Amino acid sequence: MKNSLKVLREERGWTQGALADELGVSRQTVNALETGRYDPALPLAFRISRLFAQPIESIFTPPADAH
Amino acid sequence: MTNDLDTKDFSAGDRARSRAYLREFWLGIAAYILVLVVVLVWGNMDGDSPWRFVWAVLPVIPALWIVRAILRHMQRVDDYQRLILLRGFAGGFAVAMIVSLTVAFLEIAGLRVPGVGWVIYGAGMLGWVVTGTVSARR
Repeated sequence: MKNSLKVLREERGWTQGALADELGVSRQTVNALETGRYDPALPLAFRISRLFAQPIESIFTPPADAH
Repeated sequence: MTNDLDTKDFSAGDRARSRAYLREFWLGIAAYILVLVVVLVWGNMDGDSPWRFVWAVLPVIPALWIVRAILRHMQRVDDYQRLILLRGFAGGFAVAMIVSLTVAFLEIAGLRVPGVGWVIYGAGMLGWVVTGTVSARR
């Protein structure tokens, strides 16, 4: 699943490590999220949504063939 | 494209979790080595006392502490890291099972492999490390 996490993070001038601390996850996890290797579970998705004050669907874009 | 914000530095949370894990892990390793030395020096492994079997399994006790440290670490890490750890465990388990099955069939055919337990242990550990590393880089 694509997402705009990297753009949102860089707009705020945060490193991956800083974002990881804000979300309570590892830097490795932030990297995996930004590169689309890992889709977050709902609790983490909601934390991301709250942190950037945006709805989940504006941060994460499902694949075109998703129903 | 990378920039100054794409550093690979550990976060403060990463460092704290890593410190907590390594503290418990190395405590277990130190205890394991200590018990191993005691067993090798005073355990009389070459003797014929039945007590030598009790001595022989003593290093398993600190090894259990290491298992505890790993399980506690799994509770500390996030879902993605836990997924990578579990993939590693699954890989190690699969390799250990295949190797032990292979050895069991070889033994049925009459082949005696000295130190076979260590072969299975080593294969399982190798499977764990390789699967964990590959999984983390995918």
